[in-house]
Amino acid sequence: MSSKYGLEIIALIAIIGFCGLFLYTSSIMSDAEFAGSDTVGSSQIAELTGKAEEEFQPLIWQWSPPSGEIEAGIFALQAAIGGILVGWVFGYWKGQKKRDTTE
Amino acid sequence: MHIMEGFLPWQWCVVWWIIALPCLVFGIYQLKKVLEKDREALPLLAVTGGFIFILSSLKLPSVTGSCSHPTGTGLSTICFGPWITSVICAIVLLFQSLFLAHGGLSVLGANIVSMGIVGPLAGYAVYRALRNTRTNMYLTVFIVCALADLFTYFTTSLELALAYPAEVGGVMSSFALFMGIFAITQVPLAIVEGVVLALVFKYIVQLKPDIILRLKVFPEEKIRAARGEA
Repeated sequence: MSSKYGLEIIALIAIIGFCGLFLYTSSIMSDAEFAGSDTVGSSQIAELTGKAEEEFQPLIWQWSPPSGEIEAGIFALQAAIGGILVGWVFGYWKGQKKRDTTE
Repeated sequence: MHIMEGFLPWQWCVVWWIIALPCLVFGIYQLKKVLEKDREALPLLAVTGGFIFILSSLKLPSVTGSCSHPTGTGLSTICFGPWITSVICAIVLLFQSLFLAHGGLSVLGANIVSMGIVGPLAGYAVYRALRNTRTNMYLTVFIVCALADLFTYFTTSLELALAYPAEVGGVMSSFALFMGIFAITQVPLAIVEGVVLALVFKYIVQLKPDIILRLKVFPEEKIRAARGEA
């Protein structure tokens, strides 16, 4: 990377581009539901087999979040666990580096 | 990339579990070895694992009008190889099947194979091929992460196609159908994931180059050049 912040700039462009792409898709596809691809995949299975989606029962009993809100909360929890790990280690490394350079 | 609980016939669940289990056992063995050799690898493991947790919880909208999530497995594949990555993925996928009803216990094997084994293996193959060439280090990380992500979804499509061949055209035709759902949605996400993880790798190299050196993630001269000490 020639310039110091080259990669940061590329990342920023990619993210902005991604958001732009989303705005464009959601404006031209008025019927887009933005459902999860897991769900879309499951309905495709139902279509291929000719069975109703409700006929696919879990093989092993599983708990499922009673509402979308609770599901969102647990997803946030998952991201938070990751965020804590990442932030903690980066801080640990930064502290180590500071100690090593001042000693 | 999750196959939902109940959507895979039990015979296939067993097949994928049989493939996944030895990989996990080998991953745990490797993990023990790496950590015994070098305790300082643990924080790096936490960072790469942390990103798998974060990225696989973000469901992002895509061009097909549906949402999907990145996998984040590329970084740990580069630092620790595909088998240790399988172990981290198994933990994340277990969390999601127990608390989120994304995936499930019977299909966990299939989901581990796609996200934790085939995706990382594909990325790892490319990493090995590019590691000692003149390819820019961050470009390598980008390609590996994007491919690990895409191959995860190819594998999910293949797993579903094998279990549900179309009446006309068989496995190939339903593979194309599932690819349309999973893989095309994934292309923009894979690109963003690749760029973001390349940036993260840059910060790791800046903050803690010695662990990257000790694990021989990239040749020393590449790391020095990237830090401007060439």
